[in-house]
Amino acid sequence: MSTPKGPHGGLSDFNIHHGFIEALIRGMRCSFLKDADYHHITQCENLEDVKLNLSETDYADAVADMTVLTPSDLQAAAIKKLVTEFKYVRTQAVEPLATFLDFITYEYMIENIMLLLKGALSGRDINELLAQCHPLGMFKDSTMRSIPTFEPNAKGFADLYQTVLVDTPVGPYFAMFLQESSNAMGGEVRNVIEEVEIEIIKSSLIKYWIEDFTQYVEKLGGETAEIMGDLLKVRADTNAINITLNSFGTPLNEPAMRASDRKRLYPAVGHLYPSGTSMLTDVATEEELGRVLSLFPQYASIWGVHAAGSDKSIDDAFYERDVMSLELAFESQMHFGVFYAYVKLKEQEIRNLVWITECILQAQKDEINKFVPVFSFHAPWRASASKAR
Amino acid sequence: MSEVPPTRMNQQVFKGKKKAAESGHKLLKKKADALKVKFRDYAKMIAETKGTMSTDATTAFFSLTQAEYAAGNFKQKVAEGTLTARVRVGAGIDNVAGVKLPVFTIYETGGPADNQSLGLIGGGKKVVQVRERFTVFLSQLIKLASLQTSFVTLDEAMKVTNRRVNALENVTIPKIQNVLDYIDRELDELEREDFTRLKLVQGKKEEVTVNVSDATNKMSKLDINQDKDITATFDAQDDEDVVF
Repeated sequence: MSTPKGPHGGLSDFNIHHGFIEALIRGMRCSFLKDADYHHITQCENLEDVKLNLSETDYADAVADMTVLTPSDLQAAAIKKLVTEFKYVRTQAVEPLATFLDFITYEYMIENIMLLLKGALSGRDINELLAQCHPLGMFKDSTMRSIPTFEPNAKGFADLYQTVLVDTPVGPYFAMFLQESSNAMGGEVRNVIEEVEIEIIKSSLIKYWIEDFTQYVEKLGGETAEIMGDLLKVRADTNAINITLNSFGTPLNEPAMRASDRKRLYPAVGHLYPSGTSMLTDVATEEELGRVLSLFPQYASIWGVHAAGSDKSIDDAFYERDVMSLELAFESQMHFGVFYAYVKLKEQEIRNLVWITECILQAQKDEINKFVPVFSFHAPWRASASKAR
Repeated sequence: MSEVPPTRMNQQVFKGKKKAAESGHKLLKKKADALKVKFRDYAKMIAETKGTMSTDATTAFFSLTQAEYAAGNFKQKVAEGTLTARVRVGAGIDNVAGVKLPVFTIYETGGPADNQSLGLIGGGKKVVQVRERFTVFLSQLIKLASLQTSFVTLDEAMKVTNRRVNALENVTIPKIQNVLDYIDRELDELEREDFTRLKLVQGKKEEVTVNVSDATNKMSKLDINQDKDITATFDAQDDEDVVF
């Protein structure tokens, strides 16, 4: 079978190449916890009951070995399950879906590399660090192990970059970041890694990743470009808004830093780009941010949640919106967005489980329902839609 | 007590000792009372702090859960960061009735807050909340630690003081009292002895005087008889002539 050319995601040839995997993923839709499951779990008095309830869901195997269920164990097991599923799908995939799936993992790779680099700087044990890495972002073990072995000096970091990082799929992002930073700072690679805060490096790398991913999706064309492109654009906007909002009260909000450092973190894609992000550059307070966002109807309502100051935070609002768009992406056919949506929705589900178990563990029953269920019939947007009908 | 020679001088010494012991007892009693008051205060404060601390702990840890929901797992990032203390614990000393109590105070080192951009991509506000809640919780913990240490020290000091008070009250003072009593008794005894001795001597003396006067009387009577004309009784014929 030759590598398909032309736009991907269309009635004509999508199923020939990717029909089987899409079917697999759609089959996995059943594995999501149902409204009833959530209802049962939230009623539990202790984690034993949760375990009992989970053993009737798709998580049965994951929790079977646990003698005592703890939120962190549950999280680890659930992630492991997700990774197993993802890896299975990945092995079945042919190009260009394979690359697409790899793109999904890059996000986690960035996270892992940051962890390893930072851990290496503070002289931690490699095995300890590897255990903390996200399993979805694992690359070649030998490469991972060689990251922290470098001498923490200028030459060591240069070597690290030239021989190891360049080899990883996310190497190009590092190249771009280091290039840009050393231009700005006029310093060595080492200075950049040591001096710039890990979160800022990560944000920059994520930005490059989003831009690269968007480009790739655009290249694929068709339904994928449309649906996945939109998801990524929204993601880019979310990041831009969050970076702006969370920079208040940090050095990043200082006038000089706004233009030089904060602006660089805004992805060069998305609905806000370019007019919105250029406006965000000058934002210094929450009110100003609100004023900018009021120009963009899709974000005005989310900002409204934050501005109203209710106990629902902007993060919850973003999650809710994400789940909605991911669900919609999952429901439509003939495109690659399904796979991204599946991973992200599963992540939300894992977050929910951790939240619920933590609430039960800490006896915070009042807060237990503050999560965003996946494929719920009670989701606000579904509820309002059915009311309108 | 028997080693003490029951002398006037020793009595004086022991009287002095008793006085000192009594005033010491009075002072220690006062100290013990002061400590007891403070002790109760601390106990009350500890109870209060523990009460608020439990809610503080719950909110702090729950805010961590909320932040992890919003920002993902950021524990390692904090652990891997450059850890310079932003808050340190200083030790001072508080003086309660001569007992030195350790006092811990929290002070800001003025070090830069690291990990400021934690949760930049999402959940930053929640992370800030966690930071605030745990700072409150930490200050509560330090307060409690200070109180608890003081409490233990106070307890120890109070025990020592009470032991001293009791020892003075039940051992030292009675002992001194016993010695004093003994000395008193012995001195009295001596006095009585002296008295009887004196009495005896006097009696003897009197007896002697009586005897002497009797004898003199007799003598004088004799004297009277003899005083009568000695020559009268002289008889010249009584003596034989001495012939050579």
